[in-house]
Amino acid sequence: MEAKKEVKHEAPAKQETKMQAPATVSSTTKQEARIGVFICHCGTNIAGSMDIPAVQEYAKTIPNVAYVDNYKYMCSMPGQAVINKAIKDNKLTGVVVAACSPRLHEPTFRTATKEGGLNPFRFEMANIREQNSWVHMHDQQGSTEKAKDAIRIAVAKASLLQDLFPKAVPVEKAAMVVGAGVAGMQAALDLANAGIKTYLIESSPSIGGRMSQLDKTFPTLDCSQCILTPKMVDVGRAPNIELMTWSEVDAVEGYIGNFDVTIRKKARGVLTPAEAEARGIVGGGCNGCGDCEVVCPVVKPNDFEVGMKPRKAIYINHPQVVPLIYTIDWNSCIKCGLCVTACGPEKKAIDLEQKDEFVKVKVGTAILATGFDIFPVEKKAEWGYKKYENVITSLEFERLICASGPTGGHLVRPSDGETPKRVAFVLCAASRDNTGNGKPYCSRFCCMYSLKHAHQIIEKIPGCTPYIFYMDIRSFGKMYEEFYYRIQDEGAKFIRGRVANILEDPVTKNLHVHADDTLLDRPVDMDVDLVVLAAAVQPMEDTNRTRKLFGVSCSMDGWLLEAHPKLNPCGTTTAGVFLAGVCQGPKDIPDTVASAEGAASAASIPIHKGEVELEPYFAMCIEEKCAGCGMCVNLCPYSALALVEKEGRQVMQVTEAKCKGCGTCGGFCPGGAIWMNHFATPQIVAQIDAFLLGGEQ
Amino acid sequence: MSEAKHKFAFYLGCIAPNRYPGCESASIKAMKKLGVELVPLKGASCCPAPGAFGSIDLNVFYAMAARNLVLAEQMKMDIALLCNGCYKSIWEVNHKLKHNKDLRDGVNEVLKEIDMEYKGTINVYHTAELLYNDKFIGVDKVRDSVTNPLTGARIAVHYGCHLTKPHKDREFEKEVMLNTEHPTWMEELVAALGATPVEYRNKMQCCGAGGGVRGYDIVHALDIANEKLINLKEVKVDALTDICPFCQLQFDRGQIEIKEKFGVSYDLPVLHYAELLGLAQGMSPQELGLDLHGISCEPFLQKVL
Repeated sequence: MEAKKEVKHEAPAKQETKMQAPATVSSTTKQEARIGVFICHCGTNIAGSMDIPAVQEYAKTIPNVAYVDNYKYMCSMPGQAVINKAIKDNKLTGVVVAACSPRLHEPTFRTATKEGGLNPFRFEMANIREQNSWVHMHDQQGSTEKAKDAIRIAVAKASLLQDLFPKAVPVEKAAMVVGAGVAGMQAALDLANAGIKTYLIESSPSIGGRMSQLDKTFPTLDCSQCILTPKMVDVGRAPNIELMTWSEVDAVEGYIGNFDVTIRKKARGVLTPAEAEARGIVGGGCNGCGDCEVVCPVVKPNDFEVGMKPRKAIYINHPQVVPLIYTIDWNSCIKCGLCVTACGPEKKAIDLEQKDEFVKVKVGTAILATGFDIFPVEKKAEWGYKKYENVITSLEFERLICASGPTGGHLVRPSDGETPKRVAFVLCAASRDNTGNGKPYCSRFCCMYSLKHAHQIIEKIPGCTPYIFYMDIRSFGKMYEEFYYRIQDEGAKFIRGRVANILEDPVTKNLHVHADDTLLDRPVDMDVDLVVLAAAVQPMEDTNRTRKLFGVSCSMDGWLLEAHPKLNPCGTTTAGVFLAGVCQGPKDIPDTVASAEGAASAASIPIHKGEVELEPYFAMCIEEKCAGCGMCVNLCPYSALALVEKEGRQVMQVTEAKCKGCGTCGGFCPGGAIWMNHFATPQIVAQIDAFLLGGEQ
Repeated sequence: MSEAKHKFAFYLGCIAPNRYPGCESASIKAMKKLGVELVPLKGASCCPAPGAFGSIDLNVFYAMAARNLVLAEQMKMDIALLCNGCYKSIWEVNHKLKHNKDLRDGVNEVLKEIDMEYKGTINVYHTAELLYNDKFIGVDKVRDSVTNPLTGARIAVHYGCHLTKPHKDREFEKEVMLNTEHPTWMEELVAALGATPVEYRNKMQCCGAGGGVRGYDIVHALDIANEKLINLKEVKVDALTDICPFCQLQFDRGQIEIKEKFGVSYDLPVLHYAELLGLAQGMSPQELGLDLHGISCEPFLQKVL
């Protein structure tokens, strides 16, 4: 039945299907419709809230209904067999299943319809669970009447449904990963190892992301850099990975299988060996020797060290960077040229006049792994971050305790360089915060890294006591609860209560932490040397721009939205675009890596399959009605429409593979010349009539 | 004197006219020089006190505050007041009545008995807000009005609670004033008089008097004030300035009580900002009623006059 048609993505829309549309409609309406209605109990999910026999009796009276049945679980194999048999026995032309949301089981019942010998698009679903029995649990009569309405409306549409055939388009055998933190690196490595050419795009000068800023990881206390560096090196030399650092996605066009992505390669001011060779400088380009850095006269704070260490205007973030190529900070470079001289005439790696370049690549699928940023916790003025010197964030703590950090791993108070003896940790610093000045969600890894921080100071500073102010300790992962007990035994003090405010002693610069100990039911005023705020995390500032380029939604809090929170956590509602890591929501490193591997696997499926089927819900132009006004062309959000010259006049033409079937053009067209497959005007009007006229059509 | 640019109905409250009349006269005279005329709000009652009334019967609290608001509505003038407690009552009730129709209807039901109706046509300002907000006066004009700069005086600021808190219920026109955790706008006003504003430990702590604490448990209230006085002593200031007569009472009279009950003396002069402004504009200590203070202002006056 199902004819797979080869569609070249560049080719104009198929003419035969276009001409066929109006013709098929008339034949469908003329043909006698015989609809089967199948009512699902869903155990007691539906049957517990409504009178199924009454609904069944009513369904028999609806025009065009030839067969009605009910079953305890319609989605089960026996339930599907009921549909299969009924189609054959009763010569049905359409199927209505009254059950759950089509988001859950439409594919199941389409398959059952197909197995019964009908085109799968002759199926229509009436949702009597999510939109009925679940919300009207205590209104038996009301939900029964509502189910009758829903079935009548579905039958009206099913009577007018036509055969449709999904199109297959070829998939480019290449993928893109945006963001080269641990999530992006893992996803890129998996894709590359599966034989897929992968473009890994990173907006900062080097890869590694947040994980490379951490000292140790919980609960194993591995050195973060030690376990990450091998991965960074692998990424740097994997033949299938084209690493593009200091680059950003500038524009995205196309659809699953055929994304045309424009990448802005920001001017680095420094040539890689390959770029140098392309300019004819044999054996030249940056080798990371650092001679330029020594002579550069401009000093700026190093962002990688959270501003606690200086860098030059020509810089690398830290000695282990991949790729080991210097970058010029154009906002501070004074173009004195000292670096050019120091670099010398052999390497000729520095180009102070370099401009941004644009590169176009074609990929089949893409993974967004854009990561997270730290909430600007100075907005919580009561804790005095950026006002009191000895109030720091956890990320600053990571750098201060790290052997390669600005203090060589010696934790010191910023005010006087002294070693602290009493350190307070403020958990949920702007997380789980419903005041409007903070984030309502749990940032998920702060409890665990703060436990790790407590361990580190006990280990490194004899006699130093950590005081952890917490709401709940969420030690949910493998070996996490055990780690929590270990830190308790090591002598960390836990105070259950939110920190109300922190005040600085103007003389000693010590801090008074005020809280309510809710276990002892008494106020606490604790004098400490250093306060570490476990600040909430939030999406990167640039995430919003990137997600719009790829047509991905976000939830209210800005995290990118997955297709289904449980059953499709890596996919998005845009086919061919997947999510990895914290850009989808806070995750610790194990969860981030797992999600990256999941996304890589999902993104490789269409590529290995070689082609993807597109839902046949695209718009079609009824050319004899089209006046060629072109108003629909600008309305289309997917650039799927164009005006073309046909028999001496202008008519609209649809690129089917680009059309998402949103219906914007169809609803607007003043001449009624646009036919929306599966959501055609006669079908929708029949549904409205069925609802308003109560079946008396 | 030229015609005043702005006119306000001046709500006095209770403590200023009864205990520190200097605050009242200083406000009227000093503000006039800055182009703001304060017209007495005749017939006004107690604000009523937010802690004492608000915690016992809210309906009485709303209705009494609404009556004061209606008096100003009848004068077709916004209210200016010089006390944080009054600000809490009158500003907040005005805000609530403007935004909550049910509450407004209930209050008007009561007001009907005395032939009044709350319409919600005016705004309420603290005089400190008028001084700081350049829409009315602004720091520059305050500085320009100074004829006797308080040079060399180290002055600490006590903001008081009810003006700035609760933060979620405050809507100052000047964004700077919305920083209620570490405010510094009063320090700007102090500096404008030529004095040196001084930061001190736990600046935003309560005076201890508000919320009915002073009336209910004076030793507890004084204990809180005493802690602030210890912190102030640490930074060696010549005076403490406030913008709330009740806080002023707590720190000024309170020092005498602390001496009686705890046996410690500080002898720290406490002046309302209006009194400081009056001094800086050349008004005499007698004109400002400074001799009526519990703690002598003499050492401070010798330093600045």
